[in-house]
Amino acid sequence: MSSRVLPQFDLLTPQSIPEAVAMLAQHQGQVSVLAGGTDMLVWNYIRKVKPAYLLRLSGLDDLDNVNYIPGEGLRIGAKAKVVQLLDNPDVAEKFPALFQAAETFATPQIRNMATVMGNVLRGSPAGDCSCAILALGGQVVLQGPEGERLVDIDDFWVAYGVTERKDDELAVELRIPEPTSTTRSAFIRMTRVHEDLAKLNVAVCLEINQNTCQQVRISMGCVGPILVRLKQTEKMLVGKQISDGLLQQLAASAQEEIAPIDDQRSTEEYRRQVAGVILKRVIEKAIGAH
Amino acid sequence: MSEKTYVGKSIPKLDAREKACGQAVYAADIQLPGMLYGKIVRCWDHAHAKVLKLDLSAAAKVPGVIKVLGPEDVTQKRYNTGVLDVMVPEEVGQLLGDIEDQRIFTDHVRHQGDAICGIIAESEEIAEIAAGKVKVLYEPLPVYLSAEESSRPDAFQFDERKPGNRAFQLPEQMFPGNAYGWGDVDVEMAKADLIVEETFYLPKVKQCQMEPHAYVAHYDQTGRLNCWTSTQMPKCVQPKLARLFEMPISRINLVSTTIGGGFGARLGMVFEPETCAMALAVPGRPVKVQSSREEDWVASESRHPGKYWVKLGVRKDGTPVAMDAHFTTNAGAYFTHASGVAFTAGSWMTGLYKFGSIRYKGDTYYTNQAPSGAFRGYGNPQTNFALEQIVDRACSELNIDPVEWRKKWHKGVGDDGWCMGVPYSSCALDECLERGAEAIGWEEKRARYASQSGTKRRGVGVGVMTHTSGAMPMLLEHTTCTVKMNEDTSVVITLSCSDLGQGAHTVLKQIAADTLCIPMDEIHIHVNMDSAGFDIGSHASRTTYVGGGAVIKACEDVKRQLIERASIRLGVPEQALEIKDQQVVSRNDPEKILSVKDICRSGVYNFTNPETGETNGVPGQIQGYASHFPAHNSPPFGACFSEVEIDIETGEVKVLELVIAHDIGRAINPMAVEGQLEGGAQQALGMVLTEETSYDKVGLCRNNGFTDYKMFGAADMPKFTTILVEQPDPVAPFGMKSVGEAGPVNPVGATANAISHALGITFTEAPITPERVLQALQDQKVA
Ligand SMILES: Cc1cc2nc3c(=O)[nH]c(=O)nc-3n(C[C@H](O)[C@H](O)[C@H](O)COP(=O)(O)OP(=O)(O)OC[C@H]3O[C@@H](n4cnc5c(N)ncnc54)[C@H](O)[C@@H]3O)c2cc1C
Repeated sequence: MSSRVLPQFDLLTPQSIPEAVAMLAQHQGQVSVLAGGTDMLVWNYIRKVKPAYLLRLSGLDDLDNVNYIPGEGLRIGAKAKVVQLLDNPDVAEKFPALFQAAETFATPQIRNMATVMGNVLRGSPAGDCSCAILALGGQVVLQGPEGERLVDIDDFWVAYGVTERKDDELAVELRIPEPTSTTRSAFIRMTRVHEDLAKLNVAVCLEINQNTCQQVRISMGCVGPILVRLKQTEKMLVGKQISDGLLQQLAASAQEEIAPIDDQRSTEEYRRQVAGVILKRVIEKAIGAH
Repeated sequence: MSEKTYVGKSIPKLDAREKACGQAVYAADIQLPGMLYGKIVRCWDHAHAKVLKLDLSAAAKVPGVIKVLGPEDVTQKRYNTGVLDVMVPEEVGQLLGDIEDQRIFTDHVRHQGDAICGIIAESEEIAEIAAGKVKVLYEPLPVYLSAEESSRPDAFQFDERKPGNRAFQLPEQMFPGNAYGWGDVDVEMAKADLIVEETFYLPKVKQCQMEPHAYVAHYDQTGRLNCWTSTQMPKCVQPKLARLFEMPISRINLVSTTIGGGFGARLGMVFEPETCAMALAVPGRPVKVQSSREEDWVASESRHPGKYWVKLGVRKDGTPVAMDAHFTTNAGAYFTHASGVAFTAGSWMTGLYKFGSIRYKGDTYYTNQAPSGAFRGYGNPQTNFALEQIVDRACSELNIDPVEWRKKWHKGVGDDGWCMGVPYSSCALDECLERGAEAIGWEEKRARYASQSGTKRRGVGVGVMTHTSGAMPMLLEHTTCTVKMNEDTSVVITLSCSDLGQGAHTVLKQIAADTLCIPMDEIHIHVNMDSAGFDIGSHASRTTYVGGGAVIKACEDVKRQLIERASIRLGVPEQALEIKDQQVVSRNDPEKILSVKDICRSGVYNFTNPETGETNGVPGQIQGYASHFPAHNSPPFGACFSEVEIDIETGEVKVLELVIAHDIGRAINPMAVEGQLEGGAQQALGMVLTEETSYDKVGLCRNNGFTDYKMFGAADMPKFTTILVEQPDPVAPFGMKSVGEAGPVNPVGATANAISHALGITFTEAPITPERVLQALQDQKVA
C-alpha cells in the first residue's frame, strides 16, 4: 500500500567514498543507497522497501562526470545524471545506443534527477540505459572495504532487482569500452505512451566490415527477469552479410530465445510477436539502413 | 452587439501565473492553528467482504492519536455522493429510483478502498502509524466485476431495494417499455436494406485531475461546521452535508479552495463526509484529510464502463430508418450516478441524428469495482465510440462518404434536441464538417488511403457530436450573482461558480467588463459561500453559459440603477439615457452628462448640506443582482477529424493529426476554447487508445496510479488544429455555446473510425492497444 508519508529512516551523508563504504559496512544490510531517488523514493512511498538508513551521495566529490577518454572509453560517475549523456557530444557520436536510450528515457524532469548508475543498480529488466550498456559492454566499478573490484556488465545482474554488488559496496563508476571505427550501435524501445517504462527494449552493438558482421552484442529487456543477451541470435549473425533474409532468421531466433511474461505493460504473446520485429529494426538503425 | 473590448479576445487565464509559481492555495496547503490530521482507513485487501471484527484499541493507544472512529461512532445516516437529489424534484428522484446507499465508515466493504474507520492524530505520520495498527477480521464475499456476473440470479444482493443488483433502468412509469425514443423500431427495422449491429465495450477511465482530493473541516466554537473543499458544486454539497449530519444549512459553511482540475471528479461529495465526521468528533480543532493518488483512485468515482449494443437499419441510400440501442453500464459499488449517466448516454444519440425511429434502453448494475460517477462528457464519449463507429460501418458497406452522410442526417435548428422537448436553437455542424474536412484534406486522403501496402497504414476518420450548455431542462438550472459597485467604480462580483482551472473566472470577468464597460483589472470575483447566492456548480458545460448569463443580468441591473439615478439628477427620462465610456449621457443632449464614478461615489459618500438639506447625489451603494434561470441550453455541435498511422508489424497506433471544428456560437475567449478542445482530446485519445483502470480476479485494482495507468502526455499529442465556428446562437447571451464537456467526445469516434479506415477492421473494445490491434491483424491475416 502506498502512502503520502515517507517511512522513518536515518539519512547518512558521507563526505568521502571510504566513509560511505564504512557506513555501508557498519549498518550492513540496513542501508539503501540514494542516488537520484527516482526509484528509491518511490519505493519508500509505496513501502516496497523500508530501509533503516538512506545513504545519499551528495557529499561525495568527483562522481559527477561523464568522460570520454580516448583509447580507453567512456567513464560514467555514480552521480552522473541521465541528462548528462545527452549533453555530451562524445556519447552521441561514439555510443549512439546509450545516447538513444537517454533520449527516450522518461521526461526532462526525471532525466535531470535520475542517474545512469541508479538505472544499472536498480537491476530492472526494463532499464533503458542498462539495456544499451549491456549491448555496448562494460564494467561496473565497485568500492568495498577490501578496495575496488570490477564486475563485467554481463555478470552484473543476477536476478530480478538483484545485482552482484555486496551490501558493503558502493558502485562508483561505469566503464564502457572504446568503440572502433567499424563499431555501430543503436537502441529502440516500445512503450504504451512516451513517458513510460519499456514493454520491450533492445540494443545492439556490431562490428561491421563491408556489410559483414564481425562481432555483435544484442541485449533485450522485459523478456525475462533480467536484461538478457541474445547469444544464439548473435551467433547467427557473426561472419554473415546482413541481408533481409538473414534479418528474418534473426527475428525468428530472437522469438525463441526470450522468456517474456504477462504484466501490466504488455503480454507474453505480444512481446514474442514483436521481439523479432524490433530486433530487425534496431540492426537496420545501427547500420544506417533506414 | 457593439464592438467588444474583452469578449472575443484570447486573454490569458488570470490565475495562470499564481498557479505556475506555486502561490495558489489548495486545500492541502491550508494550515490552521491547532490543526489535527485525519486518516481514512480503507480496506486494501478485499473488494467485497464483511467486517467481522474491527479492533481499534492498539491504534487508539499510539501516542499522538486523539480519536479513533469506527462505523458506530459517526452518523448512521446513509448518503449518496451524487447530487441529483438536490437538482431534481423529489418525485422524479423517486421515479428514477435514486437511493442513498453509502456510509461514512462501513462494515460491508463493497469495493477495494471502501472506508472502514478513521483516525485523528497530531500529525499525518502518527495517523499513518496508527492506521497500521488497526486490526480487522474480514469474511470475504463473492466478487463481481461486470454486470454479467452481478446480475446472475444466485449472485449476492448488494441492496434489497435493487433486486438482481440492477441499480437502475429507465423507469416504466416515465418510459413505457423501459425505453425512450420515437417510432416503431421493430417495424422500421424490417424496412431496412442493411442492418449493422455490434456490441462495443468501454473501459473504466479516471478523471486524473491534477490535485488529489484533500479537505480541512472545522467544527468551530459557534457550532458551525466549516469545510474547506475544492468541490465543483459547493451550493449542492452544503445541503447534502446538512442532511447527512442533521444540521441546519445555516450551520454548514463551505469554503471553496483553488481547484486543481475537476473533470467531474469533484462533482457532488467526495471525502467531505468522512472529513466532516472527523471534525465533528473533535469540536474546536480543525482536521485535515489528504489522499494519495492511489487512494483517490480506488475510492473516488470514474467514468462508467460498460457494454454498448447498437443496431442500425438503413436504406440503400443511407436513410437511417431505425436505431435500436441498449447500453448496460457498470455502476461500481454504489449508486451515485447510476441513473444520470444511463439516462443521458442515450440522449447524446437521440439528439444527434434524424433516425426514422429509435429505441434506447439504458440500465446500470452494481459490481465490486470502485463507484462510477461523473466524468466530463457524462456518457457522451462512450456513446460516441459506439454510435460513430456503427454509422461508419453502414457508410462503408453502402459506399457512402461518412462526411456526406453526417451532413445529410444530423439534426439541426428546430429539431428536437438532446433532451426531447427543447428544439435546437442553432446548429453550425455543416460548417464544422466542411471546414474540418478541408483542413485535414479529407477527400484526397480518404481516396489515397483506400488501397495501401507496406508496414505503415494510414487512415482518416470523422466523428461528430452534440452536447449541452447547462443542465436545463433535465436538472434545476440556476445561478445567482451580485455585482457591487465600489465608490471608485471598481467592481466585486459575488457568486459561487467554481473555476476548475478551465478559466471560468477569467471569462466571467471578460463578460462583466464588457457589459459594464469597466476595465477587467478593476473587477474582482469573490467566491464566498456565505455571501454568494445559489448555483448548481461547475458542471454540465454551464459556467460560461449560465454563470455568464447571470453576470450579464446582474451587470444590466447595475446599469439600470445607474440610469435611474442619472435620470433623477439630470432630469432626463431614463429612455433617453445611455451609458458610454463610463458616462451616463442623454442621447438628445450631450451636455446632459454624469460620470458613472460620480454616481457611484456620491451613492457611498452621500453628504447632506446642513444649510440646504440637499445631498450631493442619490444615496446608496449600487449593487446589481440576478437570480438567473436560463431559458435554453443552446447546444454546441462539433466535427472532429483524426488521422492515424498504424504500424502493422507492431500494432502501434500513432495519431498524426486532429482537426476539431467546434460550433461555439461565439468564443468569449478563443484561447480558452482551444485549450478546452485540446485538453478534452487528450482525455479522448487516452480513452480510445491507452487508458483503462483494470482489476485482478479478486477485484483489486492493478493500476491505481500513473505508473501503469497511461494517459497521453504532451509528447504523445498529435498535430492539432482547432477551428472555432462562430455562428451566434440566437437565444444565448453573446451568442455563446459551451465547449468544456464537448472536448473529450468526438475525438473518440473520429480516431476509432480512422483506425478502421486504415485497416478495414472495427475495434469494438477500447482502449485499442497495440496488443489488440496486432491480434486483430493476425486474425484477419493483414499482418
Ligand atoms: C516517472 C518516471 C519515469 C521513469 N522512466 C524511466 C525510463 O523511461 N527508463 C528507465 O530505464 N527508467 C525509468 N524510470 C526509473 C528510474 O528513473 C531509473 O531507473 C533511474 O535511472 C534510477 O536512477 P536514480 O538515480 O534515481 O536511482 P535511485 O532511485 O536513487 O536508486 C536506484 C537503485 O540503485 C541503487 N543505487 C543507486 N546508486 C547507487 C550506487 N552508487 N551504489 C549502489 N547502489 C546504488 C539504489 O540503492 C536503488 O536500489 C522512471 C522513473 C520514474 C519515476
